Amino acid sequence: MPRYAMVIDTRRCVGCHSCTVACKIHNELPLDVIYNPVITKGPEGVFPKVRVEYLPLLCMHCENAPCINACPTGASQQREDGIVFVEEDKCVGCKACLMACPYGARVFVPSTGVVQKCNFCMEQVDLGEEPFCVKTCHQKARIFGDLDDENSRVYDLVNRENAEPLLPELNTGAYVFYLRGWEAKLI
Amino acid sequence: MSHKHDTWGWMLAVDFFFAGMGGAMLCIAGLVDLFGNQPGISLVGNFLGPICIGIGACLLILELGRPFQSWRVFMNPKALLTFGAWNMFIAIVCGLCYASFGIAGIPWQTAAGLRKVLAVICLVCGLVVATYPGILLGQHKSRPFWTGPGMISLFLLSSLVTGFAAHLICGLTTGATGAISLPGAFNGIIAALLAVQLILWTGYVWGKYVYGTSWEVSATRRWVNGDLSSLFKYGFLLLGTLVPLILFLWGGNLEVIAAVLVLLGGLLMRRLVIRGGEERTWLPGEKLYYARLPAGDEDFLKAWDNK
Repeated sequence: MPRYAMVIDTRRCVGCHSCTVACKIHNELPLDVIYNPVITKGPEGVFPKVRVEYLPLLCMHCENAPCINACPTGASQQREDGIVFVEEDKCVGCKACLMACPYGARVFVPSTGVVQKCNFCMEQVDLGEEPFCVKTCHQKARIFGDLDDENSRVYDLVNRENAEPLLPELNTGAYVFYLRGWEAKLI
Repeated sequence: MSHKHDTWGWMLAVDFFFAGMGGAMLCIAGLVDLFGNQPGISLVGNFLGPICIGIGACLLILELGRPFQSWRVFMNPKALLTFGAWNMFIAIVCGLCYASFGIAGIPWQTAAGLRKVLAVICLVCGLVVATYPGILLGQHKSRPFWTGPGMISLFLLSSLVTGFAAHLICGLTTGATGAISLPGAFNGIIAALLAVQLILWTGYVWGKYVYGTSWEVSATRRWVNGDLSSLFKYGFLLLGTLVPLILFLWGGNLEVIAAVLVLLGGLLMRRLVIRGGEERTWLPGEKLYYARLPAGDEDFLKAWDNK
């Protein structure tokens, strides 16, 4: 069984928000729902050494997902391959998962009364495809794959390039990793 | 944008207030019955405990996105919310059964053994219901103001003080059932709890602000000199805690007014705590991103959805 993970190379991200748009279109999200925002850190520094970092966010598909333990109905679930998803029929919209998530990855949709989130486009993944945000990224800043496969690029980047999750001090065991720095590399 | 709905609302704060107060009322009634050999404090007070928990449960249901599916919250035994829901259910049923012993002429009034068993259940479940909001909030690593064990003691303390105050009001206005002399028996207890509440709350906010992580300091700034500070300092600490503390110590027949202030303080405290949970473990730039999203676009979104 694979263990899906994503590496985001912020050194390559130019903040074009294509992933945000692709996600909204392909998942047919309501107008006011965003699964993967791209936030901007900076600008920092003084000319000529001014820096801006774009940080795409999404569900981190954590190993110890606090949202799953918080859900009183069992609507928040995790597959064996690590993908965390919401079974909307079971969701009552109590927002317990939303309050538990430290990454703000969940959105309450008032029109349906349920909580929605990124699920790594699991229908696509089951067909052997990549999530839409990964397919769309023209900078190849998003890399998706099986972290248990030693031949995968994700494995290589996490173990050799020291990609790190966000907020590691919270011990959620996030499976979205970030390569951060200022020097872009060809991969 | 939907991100406006990303926190719990005022109904949950009122639920925490009613459930906490009701749970503590049950707990106190059970304590008085088991260790004071009194059939509770007053008939109205005994009934009001489970009724308050019921009101809290109703508000909790109304807060849900899909209220008619609320039965599903009993389904995941691993979730703390499920544990709380079951406890509230047991506390309501057993609390009403226990209170029914005070109704004159009811057939099972003489079954003292059953009453004692129900008093034990009320004591345990009441204590759990009174404490559990604090446990629920304290386990949120993602909410810097809540995280940690401090919330447990603050909620238990507030539940107890509001429970005692509610029993006092019921006893004084409708007549106590046992030989307990109200307000004499309760004044000292409530005053002591209020004094501890004053110290604990000041210490909690000070501790988070001085020794907390950068997120905790940022979240607590709202309480020290931000948008929540006036309500916290003058509404909760002064009017909801210090003034009733002085009135209870003074003992000049103003106990009911002091008890009402305690209840209002407890309600305000819970509203402030829920609002304090709006602050998350924000990443740099995240707040700015959400601040830039359109605001006041509800009508447009509604029209778009109906298109």
